[in-house]
Amino acid sequence: MVTRAGLAATVVVAAALAAAGPARADDPPRVQEMKFTERGKALLVTGSVTSVFDPGAYERLGNGLESTVVIRLWVYPKGKTVPVAFQLLHRQVVYDLWDEVYEVALSSPSGRRTVKVKYRAEALKLMTSLDAVPIADVSMIAYDTHYVVAVVAELNPVSQETLAEVRRWLSEGSGGGLDRGGSFFGSFVSVFVNLKIPDADRVVRLRSQPFYRPRPTEPPPKPRKP
Amino acid sequence: MSPRPAWRAALSVALLAVAAASAHGQPAPAAAPVDEPAPPPTEEPPPTDEPPPTDEPLTPPPPAGPPVAVDPSAADPEVTAGESLGDAAPDFGPMIVLEDIQVVGNRSTAERVILRALAQRQGEVLRAGDPRLSKARFKVLALGYFRDVSLALRKGSARGRVVLTVTVVERGTIVLNRLWFGTSPLAPWWLGVDLTERNFLGSGLSIGGGLVFADHGGVEGARDQWGGELRVGAGGIAGTRWGAFGTATLQHGSEPYRIAGDFDDDALDRFRAFSYRRMGVRGGARFDVTPTTGLAAELRVEGIDADVPVAPTATLPDGRVVAIDLGLRRGSSRVVSLGLGFDRDTRDDPVLPHAGSRVQARVELGSTLLGGSYDFTTILARYERWWPVRPRHAVGLRLAGGVVLGAAPRFDRIHLADVNRLVTPRVLGMTVATATPPDFLGTDDGGVVYGELGGNAIVEWSYRWFRRPRSVYGGDLFVAAGAWGLATDDQLRTRTASPWDALPIDLVVDAGLRIDTELGVFEFTVANALGRVPRW
Repeated sequence: MVTRAGLAATVVVAAALAAAGPARADDPPRVQEMKFTERGKALLVTGSVTSVFDPGAYERLGNGLESTVVIRLWVYPKGKTVPVAFQLLHRQVVYDLWDEVYEVALSSPSGRRTVKVKYRAEALKLMTSLDAVPIADVSMIAYDTHYVVAVVAELNPVSQETLAEVRRWLSEGSGGGLDRGGSFFGSFVSVFVNLKIPDADRVVRLRSQPFYRPRPTEPPPKPRKP
Repeated sequence: MSPRPAWRAALSVALLAVAAASAHGQPAPAAAPVDEPAPPPTEEPPPTDEPPPTDEPLTPPPPAGPPVAVDPSAADPEVTAGESLGDAAPDFGPMIVLEDIQVVGNRSTAERVILRALAQRQGEVLRAGDPRLSKARFKVLALGYFRDVSLALRKGSARGRVVLTVTVVERGTIVLNRLWFGTSPLAPWWLGVDLTERNFLGSGLSIGGGLVFADHGGVEGARDQWGGELRVGAGGIAGTRWGAFGTATLQHGSEPYRIAGDFDDDALDRFRAFSYRRMGVRGGARFDVTPTTGLAAELRVEGIDADVPVAPTATLPDGRVVAIDLGLRRGSSRVVSLGLGFDRDTRDDPVLPHAGSRVQARVELGSTLLGGSYDFTTILARYERWWPVRPRHAVGLRLAGGVVLGAAPRFDRIHLADVNRLVTPRVLGMTVATATPPDFLGTDDGGVVYGELGGNAIVEWSYRWFRRPRSVYGGDLFVAAGAWGLATDDQLRTRTASPWDALPIDLVVDAGLRIDTELGVFEFTVANALGRVPRW
């Protein structure tokens, strides 16, 4: 028979367990070759997240409505799970039906700029290319240590607020009957119109190849003049 | 009975700590700190003793440009772009005039229902990048009538004018709410179903109902039971945050009560049953204060016709004969009550949650001043919270409890199955089994079936088995364990210990699989199975 003390211990341990450890998603990322450079005090990355668009999403770029791509980049020491740097990029595009140009807005912590291009392919490139994007201060990147960059790109992400609104609308029931107690205490109750709204139209998870920052070699001593 | 204060104190501290964190709006301990980016999935191997670096080195420094410092705490990766860098700017994109709004693909849903869900109106002037346009798709999706919704603009009759086309793909809107079936000595078989049509005749009205029948067993005084319920509901009336609902219920029931034997003696000759009939209506309004918080108010009027024995008694195991309270007036009586409800739901998923919390509270006041026959108050509260602890794993805490004050009718008291999922639940409010729960702790819960004070505290571990985009959305394995308690006010009044120590408490466990499907949620659990077959 289980003792009451044992029950108490179970509850306390479970509560402590619940308070430990960070949350993480569980889909493994795909490895993609990226290019890293050092410019001044900044570590820059060059690559692309074009795969966040499928043919349908690419076609929809011309439907006159806004499309959004959110790109998150983390820099990790290889084998570690705590990032040393993070970058967030936010890009929007909308097709002007009457001027027949794509208006693209590129936002990052360093600012926001708007570009107009004629062709859809150009808009796609602007939306998905990582062209020498600063992702870390080089002072955070130790010499001769391996790092990787993890990238998560979302197409038309849905805010938690909107998801919550949808969920609330979907779960609007029609009131309980006389079976009050059972429905109130139940572990969860009733089934509603159960349409799943995804967090984004598409999500891609990428990881770079490992890279490292070589320690600068000291110049050889100048030969003394005889 | 063993001493209890130590473990009770530990339990209290643990539960209070969790509740306090929530009450103060603090992030869950396991959630990513606001100033530290949470790591995305990396599937990195554990660190090893590596040889000198052989991977790609950084290229030689190019000509220096302006340095850009990146602060990892500058942005919270847990929030979406709309929240962190500003939603689609209202001034983004060309200015347009909505010359017309056309709906395509609706066969049974009235066009006005779809247009009402949209925030946009014909003639409206806005930017093409206005976030309200992108949200419009979700407002239509949220009706629940469509499998897919897409929006597109095309040129209108003059420069700057556009036509918004809303293309919908309809889906079935009949939803299976509940299935009831099982067997027990009290009811050799019972069968019932509850369905809802969420889009009645394309009008947007929700109409549902349930029917159940239970055969009667060998308990003296029992009869066949049947019941039915009809529900009508409408949300977002006229595009507002108000909704309304109404329910009518009829029950032709038979309620068992113990007349002899120990609390775990389930022999049928230890019970008698009395017949009753309930007919009631309940109606009210709901208001969504925020997208995650709602308030509801309702009025209930119910007539009860009960064939309660004049002076029911029970013979205790020690031979004493005592009067018992069946909680109903003999003959006809009425219940008239006013209810208020509060609901706040921030869970990431209402069916298979792995993060977030939900708080529900409900107060119902029944009074003779309102024309009823019973003066009572019921206060019920429920709290659940989920913490993701590892990839695919989450731990949840579920607390539920209530107190019934005054002379509440029997059916408004807290039923044993409300707090212990190992007991056969009532079917549309009717009792179909008399089996008692397992007595894990040897606390002899006194055989209480209806109590005035009760609740449970359950810790649940959940494992995300799979997720899919269509039809069968996902499945979670879970194991749950916790404590439950249920007591009558007599037990608490005529006690020899403190109220806390006098409250009978025992253990409840469960394990199984939850499947989230397009049609509904299905649970395959130990407790669910136990509730449908005869046992102990």
